[in-house]
Amino acid sequence: MSLRTAPSPVARVVADPGRRIRSRRRLRAADLMVALCWSSVAMAVALYLAYGGLAQVTDLASGLTAAGIVTGLVGTDLILVMLVLAARLPVIDRIVGQDTAMAFHRRLGKPALYLILAHGLLLTIGYALADGSNVVTETIALFQGPDMALAYLGLGLLVAVVVSSVVAVRRRFPYEVWHAIHLLSYAAVLVALPHQLSAGAVLAEGTLQRVYWIALYVLAFGSIAVFRFLVPIVRSARHDIRVAAVEPIAPGVVSLHLTGHQLDRLQTQGGQYAIWRFWTGATWWHAHPISFSAVPTDRSARITVRSLGRGSDALGRVRPGTRVSIEGPYGIFTDEHRSTSKVSVVAAGIGITPVRSMLEHAALRPGEATVLLRATDATQSYLWNEIGALPSMRGNPIFSMMGARPRGLATWMSAEALSRGVTITSVFPDLLQSDLYVCGPQSWADLVIRDARAAGLPDSQIHVERFDW
Amino acid sequence: MRRRAIVLSILSSSAVLAAGWQVGVVTHPQSVSQSLDAAAPATGSTSGSTTGGATAATPTPSSAAAATPQQAAGASGTFTGAAAQTRFGAVQVQITVADGTITDVAALQLTDHDQRSVQISNRAAPVLRQEVLTAQSANVQNVSGATYTSDGYLTSLQSALDQAGL
Repeated sequence: MSLRTAPSPVARVVADPGRRIRSRRRLRAADLMVALCWSSVAMAVALYLAYGGLAQVTDLASGLTAAGIVTGLVGTDLILVMLVLAARLPVIDRIVGQDTAMAFHRRLGKPALYLILAHGLLLTIGYALADGSNVVTETIALFQGPDMALAYLGLGLLVAVVVSSVVAVRRRFPYEVWHAIHLLSYAAVLVALPHQLSAGAVLAEGTLQRVYWIALYVLAFGSIAVFRFLVPIVRSARHDIRVAAVEPIAPGVVSLHLTGHQLDRLQTQGGQYAIWRFWTGATWWHAHPISFSAVPTDRSARITVRSLGRGSDALGRVRPGTRVSIEGPYGIFTDEHRSTSKVSVVAAGIGITPVRSMLEHAALRPGEATVLLRATDATQSYLWNEIGALPSMRGNPIFSMMGARPRGLATWMSAEALSRGVTITSVFPDLLQSDLYVCGPQSWADLVIRDARAAGLPDSQIHVERFDW
Repeated sequence: MRRRAIVLSILSSSAVLAAGWQVGVVTHPQSVSQSLDAAAPATGSTSGSTTGGATAATPTPSSAAAATPQQAAGASGTFTGAAAQTRFGAVQVQITVADGTITDVAALQLTDHDQRSVQISNRAAPVLRQEVLTAQSANVQNVSGATYTSDGYLTSLQSALDQAGL
């Protein structure tokens, strides 16, 4: 009689050391970037201190004035950091991804506004105390100062920008209106600049402080000018992208086939997206972030989009030959950013698009990947047939999970799968030794991530692309 | 990894702030303006025009000891001090001297770099003038909140005093 030995634990897959090192390096760079943001705020205050800011404080009035100056410096520094974060610097996109950078940008918005408001308030009170007048008289006196009317205008614009960005209000506006108001923030920062140089005594000529601030302004506005305007314009002109064909693949979903010159030189990674603008009368004013659903070749590219709003609805009616401009490619939902030697993929609905190009680009070996495709019903199984045909998927299992989610239960799975006892680890036995790629609606994706974290998957191995547009 | 970013941010920001603070303390010692008034000699007669109209910010130092004016070799006339450059503009004063006594201080130029500087100068000048007429020297206290104006004012004043041989 022979004893059955207990099944030995699955041998841990030896992680690809190259991937792990690259991933560590990226995380370190991300930490460094966060530290750099905060150090720039510290630098603004430090320069103020270095030029004798503290020595000016002798009583309550000068204390309030100093506090007013410091809040103004910190608030302005934060706004400039926000502009840099929104400038789509390639280095930021490569290290943390533009969506993470924008999440940070959004979190800084309200604190920056409060600091600028405190700046105006504290200085007015401090000056009024020092002059023995009251706040109203002082405000009038200040308003007559050089460039001060502009500064107050900047403050008003800033309030408008932040208020319009508060989510509740944003939902009431069309996206374009919100975006147009948001562009006023450039104006708000620029009209506030003269008073900082003329009335702002701390930025007096010939000081290091002035050098630092001017450098920060040049960095913020320079990177916006270059990476949000110049590079996209040059790229669009050079590649001369046009719509070749519009292919409906399901109700409300179209693939746009594009042609252009040397599209491979965009160096698009599978899984990335770009921001597209279609130059027709009905669509030119709206830029759409859309994922590549195939890796571009020299002459052609393909993007697939589901109509979610009025703007993207019109995309199905775009005529072949329409000129297209491109900002991007952006995104880190790529194989390049994988940190382990295995891949787990969950995609729902139109979230299939970046997944398809990511898998196409990855050149996976048999046994390296596991893919789960999720849809509510058969009409949502966009591009599923193409996934199976990818060379990367040879020898790699593809599962599907179709059906509605159970009512009143926070789960990303179908009611049917749930009743069979399916879990994230039963679908992906090697989950912890792999990088998980999730793409689908935000609330759904959050539930997948919740389960993955509960199973012990670290955040550095989770990649998510959210489709809210 | 997030924790490392926070620690790194705190460390680097603290280092930057500490360096800035240290430089500020070394180059701009806070107590400098208060230490000047201790040794203010009171040798002047109070015959000069004291209609400055300013709120007397500082009490007259040792006003009780009215020494006899030394009018032996006293100079007379007006003397213009060299312009003192500050971060917020040049400051220049002119003094009127009668028999070795400063009878008037006129500000020819005050910090005027911006609206705020003008405001500060206009507040500080009468106070400084009053103090100088009382002390009969440049050894007077800075006006609080007007450090640069005060420094420039007193520097230019000292140059005028030197010309007058006072």
